[in-house]
Amino acid sequence: MILACSMQLSLAGASNLPPEKPQFPTGVSSLNPGSELWREVRRRDGSGEFNEVNQGLLVNELLREMRSSQQMPQGTSQVEQVDSGVLINAQGKRWALFRMTTLVDYSAIAIAAIFIIIVLFFVVRGKVPIEGGLSGNVVKRFSDYERVVHWTLAIVFLFLAITGLILLLGRPLLMPLFGKDFFALLASASKEGHNLFGPLFLVSLIMMLISFGRRNIYEKGDLTWLLKGGGLIGKGHVSGGFFNMGEKTWYWMVILIGLVISISGLVLVSPNFGQSRVIMELTHIVHVVSAMILIVVSIGHMYLGSIGSEGALEGMKSGYVDIKWADAHHDRWGKHCHEQDLIVSAEEYARLQGQTGNISEPATEQGK
Amino acid sequence: MIEYLIDGPLWYFSLAVFCIGVVWQLGSIIFASRKTDLSVARDSATSGAVRTVFSRFLPHKEIAPQIRMQVIAGYMFHLGLFALLFFAAPHVLFLEEHLLGFGWTPMPHWAFIVSAQFAFLGLIMLWLRRLVNPVSRLISTLDDHVVAILTFVVMLTGCFALLEGSTALRLLHRFTVELWLIYFPFSALMHTFTFVPSRAFIGAWFGRRGIDA
Repeated sequence: MILACSMQLSLAGASNLPPEKPQFPTGVSSLNPGSELWREVRRRDGSGEFNEVNQGLLVNELLREMRSSQQMPQGTSQVEQVDSGVLINAQGKRWALFRMTTLVDYSAIAIAAIFIIIVLFFVVRGKVPIEGGLSGNVVKRFSDYERVVHWTLAIVFLFLAITGLILLLGRPLLMPLFGKDFFALLASASKEGHNLFGPLFLVSLIMMLISFGRRNIYEKGDLTWLLKGGGLIGKGHVSGGFFNMGEKTWYWMVILIGLVISISGLVLVSPNFGQSRVIMELTHIVHVVSAMILIVVSIGHMYLGSIGSEGALEGMKSGYVDIKWADAHHDRWGKHCHEQDLIVSAEEYARLQGQTGNISEPATEQGK
Repeated sequence: MIEYLIDGPLWYFSLAVFCIGVVWQLGSIIFASRKTDLSVARDSATSGAVRTVFSRFLPHKEIAPQIRMQVIAGYMFHLGLFALLFFAAPHVLFLEEHLLGFGWTPMPHWAFIVSAQFAFLGLIMLWLRRLVNPVSRLISTLDDHVVAILTFVVMLTGCFALLEGSTALRLLHRFTVELWLIYFPFSALMHTFTFVPSRAFIGAWFGRRGIDA
């Protein structure tokens, strides 16, 4: 009985004690950015008491201020990471809007426009022919290695372009067609594929730079080619060396814009090197815009290198081009081939391609 | 239903075809009847076999400059694929849970990704070289192209399923692996197992005749 009485007394006494304050580690000013928000709410409220309606309105007001702010309000946090003190990234909202509307719209327009231009060009100009037709006699233009490098870059680029476009345009274009579930699969697969193949593009670019760089340095006569529109405007072909001004410009576009795409892609795919959200958002815009430029121009390159110009594709297929094609499009190099006796007869070319007899490589300018 | 088929019966069927097919093919090579070599041995066949198995890992110096790309791409692809198959964390876990009952330390995720990139780049370059070089193109069969494309597809579906968050993508990868396993014993993929005995056979033949090749 005495024990029961003493227990009741001790319990009654305990209920009258003030509750213990939570003990935070010293030096921590706030648990998270949310605390900063509430601290500001209490400061503005001024009453020191909890008022659900009043403080709710203040929270909304503060959130509106943060969203419309040009600068991100910084709180303090025990989490020591980049942007961990930011409750609301107002810049992120603007970036998301830009990515979901402007980027999507202009990218779709750019792709549609280049296809329309190509179709119109083909209708007006048709396939650019070689005057008098191809001769059948050829000259070696690219080695096996150079063609492997070119097609490796092309395959990797196409894969990245397709997966990138799925990620960029898939939501408005593909989701209504295939549904949310299928698009989620496609987007997930595309994202993983895009991230894995990205560095391969950089490696391919470096191989391209080493293999083709020297011959793509601008030289005397290139400007004339540019002033005459590369021969596409008006009649007749314009003088060119091994690579003409248009090819050289395309090459340096691929290298330089490709490097921008690769570096921005590496920044995006490795977010653990201290990049802030703003850096990531700006990098994403740079990545998409530069990729879209390269995609659009590459469509033109594919057209001119295949159905747009007679005999052009052979150079990257077999490594040999017709000597009349060389004379027409790259007359300075064609002249050099004539002078150095590098021309291979149609019969020898057929034999080299394995159609008859033994196979042996002829002397080439590149020595490869 | 499809999930049950791919994870169950098709997996066991493909595994059975792979194991029986490989054993059958290797057995038919090893136990094939050969004429007795009556020539007087000029040197040891065994040392010739061992020497050739290892010496073929490097190209002859006379032709090395011409085939530098194939050698580099070949090593990139084969070493990358080997690392992927046996040291990628999802594969180690799969082998432990479904086949072996034990596992080993997988490589870190970054190494997994780099291995995959090596393997992809090597495979693309090797296949392109097969297409662009007239001699390689002439001696290539349909099987060579099917093997390259099928292996690429298996790797690509694996790449798509990297997130390990989608059953459909995992099933797609597993299905292509099963097709690959079924095709394996009847194709050039058998070189995975035959390259050692074939090198040894040629090495022994040369060694016995005292040919240094």
